[in-house]
Amino acid sequence: MTEQTTTPDTIGAADAPKWSRYKYPESLYKHGTLLLILLFLGYSLHFLNVDIGLLIGALGRFAGVVSDRYYPPDLEYVLDWGYLASILDTLQMSFLGGFAGVCLAIPLAWFSAWNVSPNRRVLFPLGRLGVISCRAIHETIWTILFVSVLGFGMLAGVSALTMFCIGFAGKLFADEIEAIDMGPVEAMRAAGASSFQVFLFAVVPQVRVAFTGIAIYTWDVAFRAATVVGFFGGGGMGWYLKRNVQQLENLRVAAIILSIIVMVLIAEFLSGWLRAAVNRAK
Amino acid sequence: MAVLTVKDLKVRYSAKGPEILKGIDFEVQDDDFLAIIGPSGAGKSTLIRCVNRLVEPTAGSIRLLGEDVCSLNAKALRNLRRNVGMIFQEFNLINRMSVMDNVLSGRLGYTGNIRSFFRAFPQDDVKQALYYLDRVGLSDHINKRADELSGGQRQRVGIARALMQRPKLLLLDEPTSALDPKISREVMALIRDIARELKVPALCNIHDVQLAKEFCNRIIGLQDGYKKFDGATETMRDADLDVIYEMEVL
Repeated sequence: MTEQTTTPDTIGAADAPKWSRYKYPESLYKHGTLLLILLFLGYSLHFLNVDIGLLIGALGRFAGVVSDRYYPPDLEYVLDWGYLASILDTLQMSFLGGFAGVCLAIPLAWFSAWNVSPNRRVLFPLGRLGVISCRAIHETIWTILFVSVLGFGMLAGVSALTMFCIGFAGKLFADEIEAIDMGPVEAMRAAGASSFQVFLFAVVPQVRVAFTGIAIYTWDVAFRAATVVGFFGGGGMGWYLKRNVQQLENLRVAAIILSIIVMVLIAEFLSGWLRAAVNRAK
Repeated sequence: MAVLTVKDLKVRYSAKGPEILKGIDFEVQDDDFLAIIGPSGAGKSTLIRCVNRLVEPTAGSIRLLGEDVCSLNAKALRNLRRNVGMIFQEFNLINRMSVMDNVLSGRLGYTGNIRSFFRAFPQDDVKQALYYLDRVGLSDHINKRADELSGGQRQRVGIARALMQRPKLLLLDEPTSALDPKISREVMALIRDIARELKVPALCNIHDVQLAKEFCNRIIGLQDGYKKFDGATETMRDADLDVIYEMEVL
């Protein structure tokens, strides 16, 4: 048997070893998928009859509408005590909803993480179902549902935000749990620990920092959702927005939207800073 | 007296997957320090994990401390596992907990859920932990986080944690593979001395044949899921190693 070695002389020879990144079936799937996506995009544009020309002029018209009807914003209105109190309400709603949501999301995430789930036949599907059903329904629809059951006000808003946060944090928590190092889990199981003890000793220390970061992020997102929740009767500043939109008080609407942007920016900045601090505290 | 009796043990990880263990029989006597040697992929780790059912056997029987391991329900299995201390290749410590909490976690099988939530271990356990930490030479590192320690020190924490269970059998899964040769020898000597002191038998996966010969009284050789050798260390010849590894032994 003669050993075939690659030397500069054999490169390009008929029997030289060949290599290509994508072999036949994979290359077909890859390019076929890409082609299908592009085709569908083109079809959607055609089917919806999107008028590109209208889109190009939209920015100019948008600026016109804003300067005609929404300028100058009625800042006096948003500096009124009643409105400032509603900002505080919104903040409290997002805190309560975020806190309750995160607390409920932790056990659900534990159940629905395949690697450490205390019971794969019953609790795992239940946990998954819980998280998925919370995610499946949009926060505005949760609000409408809770308002119809609990009536207008903060309680409906907080409940809706709680459901939203369970879905949001539960999924992220479960993903985080499924990515842990299984070594300590094995060690705790080998020592005769129960599922709960395994969770406490082998899982929690590994995900604590990530969970804190996710919890802060959840609050940040919940705050944004809280402004919309109010619009549908959940209390807080969204309620003012709805009333003024309906009364065509455009200058007040402009001021309210400005205040929402400012608050969201503050929340985003705060949550970013807190998460960075938590990461440093490893 | 046999602490552990394994008969015709077979394992596959999935119905269509390859058979990892193809009918293993052996016994561990109450004064054994038994080594399992063999090339990578021979099934050493799978075999040792079957003993406390971290891996579910497909067929065969395992009798451990008078109980049929394969037929135990979840609760009875946890109670049996409390009696079996395990030491791991990668130490498997909880990196973000202190050395003390890591050692105390060996008592979880005897601790209630509420106590473990608050990490409120009984004073006796704490005293015992201090004793074993002293015994493995870590008295100065009790409050450090586990990930601040060196490899050899981490494995000593692993040893102390296993001893906290007051085990009746020690399972050692490549306890020295992540350590350098000098520290490997120290750690093996420590485990052997403690095993003798406490009269605990041990079952030890090890790929370093020299260490196996030096520290173990009996050796089992595995190759591709079959047992190729089983006998006292002195009776093992180079020819046996040739069979186990199917290659020249240095």
